Amino acid sequence: MNNARATQSTQAQERAPTDWKTVAMQRRIRKRYRAERRFRFFGIAAVVLSAAFLAFLLVTMVAQGWRGFTRTEIMLPIDFPASGMMVERAQLDTAGADLALAGAGLENAVKSAAAAAFGPGGESYISDNAWVSVRKAIKHDASVLDRKTQMRVPASSEVDQAMAGRGTSEILAAVAKLKNAGLVSRHLNLDFLKVSDSTDPVAVGIWGALKGSLLTMFVTFLIAFPVGVLSAIYLEEYAPRNRWTDLIEVSINNLAAVPSIIFGLLGLAVFLGSWSLFGYRVGPLLPRSAALVGGLTLALMIMPVIVIASRNAIKAVPPSIRDAALGIGASPIQVVFHHVLPLAMPGILTGTIIGMARALGETAPLLLIGMRAFIVTPPGGLTDPATVLPVQIFLWSDEVSRGFVEKTSAAIIVLLVFLLAMNGLAIYLRNKFETRW
Amino acid sequence: MTDAPHKMTARDVSVFYGEKQAVKNVSIDIDMDRVTAFIGPSGCGKSTFLRTLNRMNDTIGNARVEGQITLDGEDIYSSGMDVVQLRARVGMVFQKPNPFPKSIFENVAYGPRIHGLANSKADLEEIVARSLRRAGLWEEVKDRLNDSGTALSGGQQQRLCIARAIAVDPEVILMDEPASALDPIATAKIEELIHELRGRYAIVIVTHNMQQAARVSQRTAFFHLGNLVEYGDTDNIFTAPREERTKDYITGRYG
Ligand SMILES: Nc1ncnc2c1ncn2[C@@H]1O[C@H](COP(=O)(O)OP(=O)(O)OP(=O)(O)O)[C@@H](O)[C@H]1O
Ligand SMILES: [Mg+2]
Repeated sequence: MNNARATQSTQAQERAPTDWKTVAMQRRIRKRYRAERRFRFFGIAAVVLSAAFLAFLLVTMVAQGWRGFTRTEIMLPIDFPASGMMVERAQLDTAGADLALAGAGLENAVKSAAAAAFGPGGESYISDNAWVSVRKAIKHDASVLDRKTQMRVPASSEVDQAMAGRGTSEILAAVAKLKNAGLVSRHLNLDFLKVSDSTDPVAVGIWGALKGSLLTMFVTFLIAFPVGVLSAIYLEEYAPRNRWTDLIEVSINNLAAVPSIIFGLLGLAVFLGSWSLFGYRVGPLLPRSAALVGGLTLALMIMPVIVIASRNAIKAVPPSIRDAALGIGASPIQVVFHHVLPLAMPGILTGTIIGMARALGETAPLLLIGMRAFIVTPPGGLTDPATVLPVQIFLWSDEVSRGFVEKTSAAIIVLLVFLLAMNGLAIYLRNKFETRW
Repeated sequence: MTDAPHKMTARDVSVFYGEKQAVKNVSIDIDMDRVTAFIGPSGCGKSTFLRTLNRMNDTIGNARVEGQITLDGEDIYSSGMDVVQLRARVGMVFQKPNPFPKSIFENVAYGPRIHGLANSKADLEEIVARSLRRAGLWEEVKDRLNDSGTALSGGQQQRLCIARAIAVDPEVILMDEPASALDPIATAKIEELIHELRGRYAIVIVTHNMQQAARVSQRTAFFHLGNLVEYGDTDNIFTAPREERTKDYITGRYG
């Protein structure tokens, strides 16, 4: 305090010492406090608002989506001996069991059982796939074929909706009666995670899209991470600084901002297009709708993000570390791989995960390269037709059938969990590689 | 003694940072059995010149070196010179301590490991222990070789860097103010080390401490504004400098 006054008086001899108690000073202090309070209020308001949005999203998703993980099941009395089905018992233990049961008219037998149990039109109470559960039960225990029995089978979409209070008055009344008799109920059903797309909302599953996403992310990571990191290393550590590298830098920064749909068009043209070269027709190089093409396209898209993040992380490594290693005779490549890269790794990984998360949620470019097909069997490999989670969500949200609403929400939950898992992995890796100085 | 060929020679060496000339036409000889001290006011180009001797200036984008520098008669700026090997032969201790963010052991073992100097784990441990002992750090760290090198005090870090430099067994050691962060005891250890290493290595040391220059060196070079003002036997420089500027500096009349 004294000091400050002393320097002030040497600078301006004639100035009187500052009086901190004047009205103007008090007003300035009050104003400062007000500004402080105002800023804090807006800060808290912003945080609360975003937290509220997030909570709203999560609550609505979970509220709608949890039903996606359950299934309405209906108790179906079925009298096999009376159904007139002829099944060769010996075949039930072989690989041909499915075929034998289908050939014996199981599907019709189940439908007539439903009609018999629930009255005329009763077959519409059970899911089109109900006979598949019956088949499973028979394969599990063939002795049911000899008696009259009861089985829980998936209910149809109408019954399912009626359970939620939607539908015509007749079906609502019928379902209410069944419900009171304890014949229809909802059960946790993780088939949603095990099966793939279907036209019947009761029977759809997310597994095909999830597997498609996994395969696509795998390809994206495998291409974008090494290429991106190596480019960053080259540009930071080796490339001369001249107009060409400046140009490359500007291009990469611009590429990071290019809308994703443009990358879809690029992927479409490069991987799926065909050109004539020297009079020969070349292409398409890769199959449509495949995870391989999707992964390559998304890799193109996130590479600039990885390059930029990696360059910044590499730049942040103190030059003295490079000097130290060079000074005892480490070669440039040893400097990079022994010292710079390990220190830059946390930053590189953070950038990579941000890019991967963006790729995971990307829909538009994948629609362009044909990953919007109706895929009933999960892709077996990188070149099989596949779809991915966000595209599946997009497709289901477009369905008119009411039953798809909750499945869409359930798929969103799966996507969010996937994203969380990826971020969790990133945080784990970052902490693992973090160097304590 | 004076007839032996010089370990390193510099002839008309100039260094430019872009347009700015930081070292002007310096010619100097560095001998095997002598310690050469560089003295001079801050910013006069001592570090810059020192860095030309093992081509650490290569890493600075806009630095340019003119003139000729030889090691054992071989031009180190010729295209045939392997820079990596040169830096292993001409080691360097930097002005600011810069240990790797790794364990103490790894810091010292890194050089021998990349150059394949140890043929067994025991051998490597032996090299590490010997280097740390020579740098006067062994007693303080022998029980915690796995602790991080960056967790040491500033003076300990600098001695760790010295141990790291001598672990690769260089022929010439360039030290840029190695004792500027050390207490008198540690400084004495470093000076002892320099005495011990003299004869086995050619040593160049930059220092702002006149007494230290007088104590450890046999030859002294006085730099001023990028020029080599005076270069000669330490005894002569400190007792009978030829140049007025040298005299002013060593008597402390010069900033
Ligand atoms: N990387 C660089 N780019 C541009 N100019 C530089 C660079 N490094 C040093 N210089 C300039 O070169 C001159 C000599 O610097 P140098 O570091 O060699 O001085 P010094 O004698 O070692 O000083 P000190 O005793 O303070 O360490 C200074 O004027 C400095 O500003
Ligand atoms: Mg210096």
